[in-house]
Amino acid sequence: MIRLQNIEKVYRTDTIQTLALNSINLEVEKGEFLSIMGPSGCGKSTLLNIIGLLDMPSKGSISIDEQATHKFSDKKLAQFRNKKLGFIFQSYHLINDLQVLDNVELPLLYRDSTAKERKQLATEALEKVGLSNRIKHFPSQLSGGQRQRVAIARAIVGRPEIILADEPTGNLDSAMGNEIMEILLQLNRNEGTTIVMVTHDENMAQKTHRLVRLFDGSQVQ
Amino acid sequence: MLKHLFKMIWNKKKQNSLLIVEILLSFMVIFAVFSFGLNSYSNYAKPMGIDYEHVWAINYNNTLETKNADSLKLFYQGLVRNIKAMPQVLDASITSANIPFSNSHMSTGIKYKGEQISQINNFWVDENYPHTLNLKLLAGRWYNKADHVPGQQIIVINNVLKERLFGNADAIGKIFGNYDDKNKIKIIGVVDNIKFDGDYQAPAKAMYALYDTSAYHWLSKILVKVSPDADAAFESRLYKFMANSLKNSNIEIEHLSNKLTAYNKFTLVPLIILSIVAAFLIINVALGIFGVLWYNINKRRGEIGLRRAVGASGNSVSYQLVNEAMILATLSLIIGSFFAVQFPLLNVFDLPSSVYVIAMLLSIIFIYILVLVCSLYPGKQAAAIYPAVALHEE
Repeated sequence: MIRLQNIEKVYRTDTIQTLALNSINLEVEKGEFLSIMGPSGCGKSTLLNIIGLLDMPSKGSISIDEQATHKFSDKKLAQFRNKKLGFIFQSYHLINDLQVLDNVELPLLYRDSTAKERKQLATEALEKVGLSNRIKHFPSQLSGGQRQRVAIARAIVGRPEIILADEPTGNLDSAMGNEIMEILLQLNRNEGTTIVMVTHDENMAQKTHRLVRLFDGSQVQ
Repeated sequence: MLKHLFKMIWNKKKQNSLLIVEILLSFMVIFAVFSFGLNSYSNYAKPMGIDYEHVWAINYNNTLETKNADSLKLFYQGLVRNIKAMPQVLDASITSANIPFSNSHMSTGIKYKGEQISQINNFWVDENYPHTLNLKLLAGRWYNKADHVPGQQIIVINNVLKERLFGNADAIGKIFGNYDDKNKIKIIGVVDNIKFDGDYQAPAKAMYALYDTSAYHWLSKILVKVSPDADAAFESRLYKFMANSLKNSNIEIEHLSNKLTAYNKFTLVPLIILSIVAAFLIINVALGIFGVLWYNINKRRGEIGLRRAVGASGNSVSYQLVNEAMILATLSLIIGSFFAVQFPLLNVFDLPSSVYVIAMLLSIIFIYILVLVCSLYPGKQAAAIYPAVALHEE
């Protein structure tokens, strides 16, 4: 499903050149739940951004669903992200000026859909994460766990085949973190969604199918 | 997407209110400038109604000691005859002080069918007046020598007053009352409108009364139509002639064309000042819009990154920011149009409704263009934000 070949990412400034990822080769199968671990600054988020087509590798190639995405235009990349990928971030990235329902509808605004369809899909997604009673709330009126559930609802509302989660439990206490993890596991189990998750939490990583460890930009496991 | 943007704007109404007020104020100022400018232009485009080139105005004051009206009449008629006899003089006319472009006004009121109509310019003229100024007669007749009969209650009005009183109907032979409705006055002629207050002012209601012999005491202007070859030497001769004829009188000769140029400045100076103020305000608003949008982009980098992540292309993000600015401008313009439309409805400043309507449309277009121009670059900058970087910063 996802194939990374010899991925290299170099950040360059006028004076410094930093190798963030070095010769990463990775394949993720459809329906797999993969976790990526490693110390801070080892390139986990960079790798996730490259898989999520939010960043381009300096070298190497990436294909998703047999499509060489590095050849895509900005517009096609945006469409591809919209249809195939869902993102969950550590800091939720909810829009504070929008109610929960509007936040969840956000990905659907960038595809052909009617307001009625959007509302229906967003309500269904919120039901899945147990927040159907909070649709009129603003993010500031929710707890951290609830916000992350809204973010999960937003990630799954467009029914993507792949979910990319960047430390989804990082800002939550263990109970909340477990709740979020349970939702992700259910998504993977029940709907066959492929999930790639970056985490610092060994316990969370152990619950996934496969663990990849990075160190200084290189894959060590 | 439009509904989504409306929601965003509505939910951020406090933050957006300042920008809405700023755009609203700019709209009102631009509306004022356009209204003033359009009205001035529309007046400028209208014909002057007279030939003012080669018309000189002799200012004098009556210094003759005689109080006999007939003697005065004979003297001044002889004076005008002598002036007309000069080789470069084509015609001459003694009038009241309110000659064109003189900033001197005499107004009166009339009563017609029970309605009091005030602010009518009242001119005291003789039978030579239309020939001297090449004033066109539209209907009826001008005065002739036979009209110098005491007790004659006749009048010539201009087209503005005719339309005000009778619309498209014929005015000749119609009768109205003077200001206190004690005397009835019959209309014998309708003449073309004269822009007495310069190129940029609309012709006002006017009526031309034939003065009688008692008026020579206070009449103080002679309009002289001269041939194009009348030069300074001739002007000097004319001056000397007047000075010799009217001993101890203050004689001054002015050219109507120079008076018009000077008078036009009365209108142009405020318009220029208003335009400068408006220009500063527009620059201020442009910087304001630019600054707010720039600030928005920096404050909303996380949101922009997120939108890119969930499927927005660079262009979509750019369009979104431009559209948000245009929606804010629309809200301002809706409020502004509500106020602006009161001007034609309430007939404020007595300008034609078409001036206000066109000024309103032009102001709306202007504000949209201004907002569009000011939001394009920030929108482009937003499109260039790298999603991975923006999301990481958050």
